[in-house]
Amino acid sequence: MSEWLFRIVINGAMISALYALIAIGFTMIFGVGGVLNLAHGALIMAGAYVFLFLTRTIFLEAVALPVLVAVPLTVAVVAGLSYGLYVGLVRYVEDDVVITFLATVIVATALTELVLGTLGDQPYDFTVLAGTTAVLGTTVSYTELLGFVVSWFAIGLLWYYVTQTDGGRSILATSMSERGAHLTGVDVGSVRARTWLIAGGLAGTAGIFLVGGDPSATPLMWLHPLALAFIIVVIGGIGSIKGSIVAAYGIGYLETLTVELLGQGFRGILSLVVLVVVLLVLPQGLYGREFVHG
Amino acid sequence: MADAEGRAEGAEGAAAVLARSRSTLRTSVVRPVGSVATRLLEPLDRAASPAAAAFNRSLGQYFGTVTGLQLLVLITTVLALFAAPLWAPYIVGNYLYTLAIACVWAIFAMAWDVQSGYTGYISFGHSALSGAAGYATALLVVNVGPNLPLWVTIPVSVLAALVVGLVVGLPALRLQGPYFSLITFVAVLLFYRLTIGFSEFLGGETGFQEVQAFTYDPTLRFYYMLVPMLLVAVGLTFVARSNVGMVFVAIRENESAVAAAGLNPTAFKLWSFVMSAIPMGIGGVLLAHFSGNVTPSSFVVVNNSIEMIAMAVLGGIGSVLAPIGGAFLFVILRDEVLHGVGHSLRYFTLWMVVLAVLVFARDGVIRRLWHAIGAIGGDSE
Repeated sequence: MSEWLFRIVINGAMISALYALIAIGFTMIFGVGGVLNLAHGALIMAGAYVFLFLTRTIFLEAVALPVLVAVPLTVAVVAGLSYGLYVGLVRYVEDDVVITFLATVIVATALTELVLGTLGDQPYDFTVLAGTTAVLGTTVSYTELLGFVVSWFAIGLLWYYVTQTDGGRSILATSMSERGAHLTGVDVGSVRARTWLIAGGLAGTAGIFLVGGDPSATPLMWLHPLALAFIIVVIGGIGSIKGSIVAAYGIGYLETLTVELLGQGFRGILSLVVLVVVLLVLPQGLYGREFVHG
Repeated sequence: MADAEGRAEGAEGAAAVLARSRSTLRTSVVRPVGSVATRLLEPLDRAASPAAAAFNRSLGQYFGTVTGLQLLVLITTVLALFAAPLWAPYIVGNYLYTLAIACVWAIFAMAWDVQSGYTGYISFGHSALSGAAGYATALLVVNVGPNLPLWVTIPVSVLAALVVGLVVGLPALRLQGPYFSLITFVAVLLFYRLTIGFSEFLGGETGFQEVQAFTYDPTLRFYYMLVPMLLVAVGLTFVARSNVGMVFVAIRENESAVAAAGLNPTAFKLWSFVMSAIPMGIGGVLLAHFSGNVTPSSFVVVNNSIEMIAMAVLGGIGSVLAPIGGAFLFVILRDEVLHGVGHSLRYFTLWMVVLAVLVFARDGVIRRLWHAIGAIGGDSE
């Protein structure tokens, strides 16, 4: 019994840490710019493929970087992609929510086709760190453990940045009230660009460890993480980082429990039920708030 | 502070560059071409204006008013479509097939637009509605009997689309803005997963092949698709131009104002969903009988919803007729112009075109054309 309990606790923690990584970037972009970035899943996919590209020799003979170099490099590349997406596209259309919405989903599908066209639709697997270990009697791969550690490291870094530095506090201020931030001399444009950069970095990290953990990298993998990010962010409250983390753990454990008790086929279905209930009972989410200015 | 202002100006500078390149394009290309076109087309406009005046007097209050040239273009387009079996075989490619499939997608694009484009509640789940209709037809044929008459299967299938629309819409439409889109997006993923999860009942990845195609004669098939499409277009234009359509637009512009005026926005949003689900059902039935295949990838997957949206965007969101043009543009580009290109490069190109339209002509290509035509001989912009 205790072994079973430990297994749930450990596996749930591993998957939840990744879910938190997936959701935080999405919620930050929504909180700051009011933009639902539907290309977020595509950025996660990009993270997986960039890492694959940098560590394996299947695409380029010469390039096979050690993991220690490849992880930060991947994160940087995806952060750059995300930044480029904002500066090159979203900035021009963000005055219209609907257009932004549509533009990001078109970017996601275009990116999918690009990957399909250049690399084909076969799934790729990789591990970040080989080997497994036992934690409290549960087998955990080093990749999952590293993902867990990196997730909390990233969250800690983000927390420090957002609460302790001026640059981060201006992000927080902008997400609370854009007009207020503007009036106190915050450069909203650069705050938004910075938010996209950070969100991209988090998405890239999530991409690496998501594929490193269990599923394979496929061109269609943008959909599932995006749906997860939706569910988590809505439950946690759109725009709230704390809410995303709490909801990510809630959903992560819920999924672990359903898989454990009901089987793999029901994965995700209970989360949807929870989503609908939360939307109807608590539309603001756990830590959501009314928007000060629409 | 000064630094911040400087950077804010930088951001505005980028927008200014965009605006400047747009205005250069306007002065050096659009205006000369436009003035030539104006000179050529003005006599036509004048010739047709009595007819237009008659149209505006009799039907204008139901369908909106047109100028002479607009009426002429409209009539020519409809006639050209009806005459397609005469001219299509002379063009390289398989245009009769392409135009027929474009008709079905035009229905989808219009149906999406009357809900999402008008009320501003963007749905990513419309392929679930057409999927419901297609699957209902297939399930009836498989489980009840292959000889069920069409007058039974078609209404039941449209009803299925309506029911699914209400199942998605009832909870979703109580929500504001982005939440609605999230729910529809998740809903379509759920429906896809259901087709795989209940594969013994819903056919799984391969779906059903048992539905009888209406006909395999390309000419007849084209008319089977064209006529319903035009009827749906007339019906939806009527709805969109009625008071109900006005309320839809008002919801998009300012929902609290609608509520303050004593109207229940949720009820109207639900109506828009109904108005949208019925044509989606009709389109789904047509698509099922087009080839006889009902599969998750041809009906349910979220990419289908995104394609509908892309068509509406190409034509122009928030006007029932422009998405028809968008659908024809999209399908002709996809199946004819880019025919030789590999699948993913083709779609990549298409998405880039749609993205360009979103950024540079957000009210849509067809709508721009329509207004340009209207400006000739009439009031300038």
